Amino acid sequence: MRRTVFVFSLFAGAAGAQGNLSTQGYGFPTGQFSARAAGTGGAVAEIDPWSPLNPSTIGVFSSKVLFFQIEPEYRTVQNGAAKDRTTTSRYPVLFGAAPVGSRWVVSIGASTLLDRTASTVVQSTKLVGTDSVQATTTFTVDGAMNDVRLATAFTPASWIRLGVGAHAITGRSFVSVGDVYGDTTAFSNFTVRRTLSYGGAAASAGVQLISRNFVAAASARTGGTLTVSESDTLLSSGRVPTRFGLSVAYTGIANSAIAFRTSREGWSSLNKLGPGVSASDAWDTSVGADVAGLKLIGQDVAVRAGARTRTLPFAAAGKTVTENSFSGGLGTMFAGGRLITDVGLTRASRDAGLAANERAWILSLGIGVRP
Amino acid sequence: MSGGAGFRLFALAVFTALVAGVGACSDRLDSRGSCPLLCPQEGVPLRDTLIDVVSDTTVLGFPPFGYENYMLLTSRGDTLETRVIVRYDTLFTTYHTSAGDSEVTTLDSAFLRLGLLIDTLRRNPAPVTIEAYDVDTLEGFDTSATVLASLFRKDRFLASRSFAPESLLDSVFIRLPTDSVLGHMLAHTRMRIGLKVVSTKSASVLIESHDAGTGPRLISYASKDTTVPPVANNVFSLTPATPLFLANALGDYVVTVKGGSPPASSLISVGGLPGRRAIINLNIPSYIVDSSSIVRATLLLHQKPNRTIDPKDTVPLSPGAFLINSVVTDPETILGFLSPPGAFGLLEHGLVPSDSGVQGIEIGPLVRTWGLSKPDVNRRSVALRSSEEAEKPGQLDFFSTRAAPALRPKLRITYVPRTNFGVP
Repeated sequence: MRRTVFVFSLFAGAAGAQGNLSTQGYGFPTGQFSARAAGTGGAVAEIDPWSPLNPSTIGVFSSKVLFFQIEPEYRTVQNGAAKDRTTTSRYPVLFGAAPVGSRWVVSIGASTLLDRTASTVVQSTKLVGTDSVQATTTFTVDGAMNDVRLATAFTPASWIRLGVGAHAITGRSFVSVGDVYGDTTAFSNFTVRRTLSYGGAAASAGVQLISRNFVAAASARTGGTLTVSESDTLLSSGRVPTRFGLSVAYTGIANSAIAFRTSREGWSSLNKLGPGVSASDAWDTSVGADVAGLKLIGQDVAVRAGARTRTLPFAAAGKTVTENSFSGGLGTMFAGGRLITDVGLTRASRDAGLAANERAWILSLGIGVRP
Repeated sequence: MSGGAGFRLFALAVFTALVAGVGACSDRLDSRGSCPLLCPQEGVPLRDTLIDVVSDTTVLGFPPFGYENYMLLTSRGDTLETRVIVRYDTLFTTYHTSAGDSEVTTLDSAFLRLGLLIDTLRRNPAPVTIEAYDVDTLEGFDTSATVLASLFRKDRFLASRSFAPESLLDSVFIRLPTDSVLGHMLAHTRMRIGLKVVSTKSASVLIESHDAGTGPRLISYASKDTTVPPVANNVFSLTPATPLFLANALGDYVVTVKGGSPPASSLISVGGLPGRRAIINLNIPSYIVDSSSIVRATLLLHQKPNRTIDPKDTVPLSPGAFLINSVVTDPETILGFLSPPGAFGLLEHGLVPSDSGVQGIEIGPLVRTWGLSKPDVNRRSVALRSSEEAEKPGQLDFFSTRAAPALRPKLRITYVPRTNFGVP
């Protein structure tokens, strides 16, 4: 005979939240911005060839390029008197591009769509049968949903660039949850782990229109099926979020751009990926400038600044999280233009109308190489 | 180098250092302060299940004959009476002097030295006398409790010594008659001594056996010269000839001449004298053993009071793992292959024989190992025994699987089932 007699524990349930406003649900959308675009608050993202959003923008490359970006976030979450400072290391953009003939450019790269890296420790009293025990529960998730893009751009004329991209949504999240008990004579500490794998496909297309004083660019991504699985077991499936973005930039100042961008991402298509997922479609709007002309001891330096407002896809405690940020950055080249370096710094403020709020410094370091 | 080139090198070095430094940063992720507001569902559910014990068996006679670490020599009136037998089947007959080795021809004195384990909190209530008898008898009968008990009679009496309770310390010496010891030495015959304790009240003495140390020693002084070392004999048995390994064990041993009883069929018994061990057989579903994390496993036993001997003395009940696979089925044999007390993280539980009610024995560390191998290698059973087996006469009784349903043993197991954790 076997019978279940009692099941209860405080805070029991499926582990899902991560203790931050920004990393609820399947995680934080980094925006897929390059360090250059991040410095302008994302305003130039649709016309920036280093940001893997608009496939038409890679048409600007006249030689092979490699690009790599590091983007740590230093976050402070304040909940009443409690304050947590966390650090998350990210490598959100990596790609290479090469021209094929005089009108075509191809590119392959990967960027972070949703970064899900967080850890929380909760102390509670668990009731097991008639006994209670002090427990310290540690929940850790580490990983990301990535966007691997194979793109090509065609430049039929000097005033227009066209591009298409094929996307594979990949990545894994390593999740673990464990209890450490106060009474180890009767209770044994445990840690259970699982690896969630993501798989999906999408396609994107973009266009860039160039005039003497203005550049307009737009891109869209449409999603196919997106799955979450563990080993060979399918856990859930939804759709890759569709996305539409538009940037308009004034380029009347040489090598400079004053830009406006807005985009909308259909995050709600992720709602079928889990019973607790509460994602909403989100607008992301920014203005910024990338101004050249500053010279420091003979070195050309681009100066950037921008402001951005957006809503994050996943609700915190049922409330939509809004993020407002201000950015700045510098960019320069070395070795005769073969080494491109960009630094961006973003101060983000996230709020959901809850007792907890979140502030973050995001440092973006981009390195482009023309071999 | 121009100023511009120098700046470029400097700027590049700063940028490189920044990239290297930031790239080397490790995550620091703990954000507990925002819980439970932003993490209301952390943790995974624990499930608690009761499983009936499949079967149980109690076997009497542990530790095996001759393998006691400490031999309980006791006299409890009608309830319990034991004797300790020590064998000297060969005796050294030479002693060493500065002039060289000499054959023993006379003895100045002879003693039996007994190492004791004394519980200073539980001294004997009255003076005790330890009596020594010649208990040599025919092979084949020399381990029979009945035969040996009959040899503790006047015509076989060798010696005795009385002790005040507080004078029983770590060792005692009992002077033996030199003519008897010398006779065995000169004749090259074996000497087997039986020990009995006598007191006006219940009395017990724990004697160190050769399994725990040197065991009882026969010490003979062949010379009055104090610089001449004595002839010291350790216990040694030549019988039984087959199997030979038993001979070593029977250098010293305990026989129970009164008291002790076979286990009742409706009880699980642990401890007592002769010692009892029990096998508890379990059948835990594989989805728990193989696919879950076991947080707690508690064997729930309904204790039946046993007020026969030392009812209020705590008996340390120690659960144990079997170190033998399922090919062997004989209960007595498999109970001889147990993990040492405390191994596998299995803790002792101090229980009192006269208690009643449900007792919980934690066996979680053992149950967790069952997911690592199949039942034919790592049997799904747990052994119960006293870690002071044969040293304390108190006996713990529990209702078995043959008792009324409400009294039968059960396993309460708390585990973490496979859940959809990690998916928001």
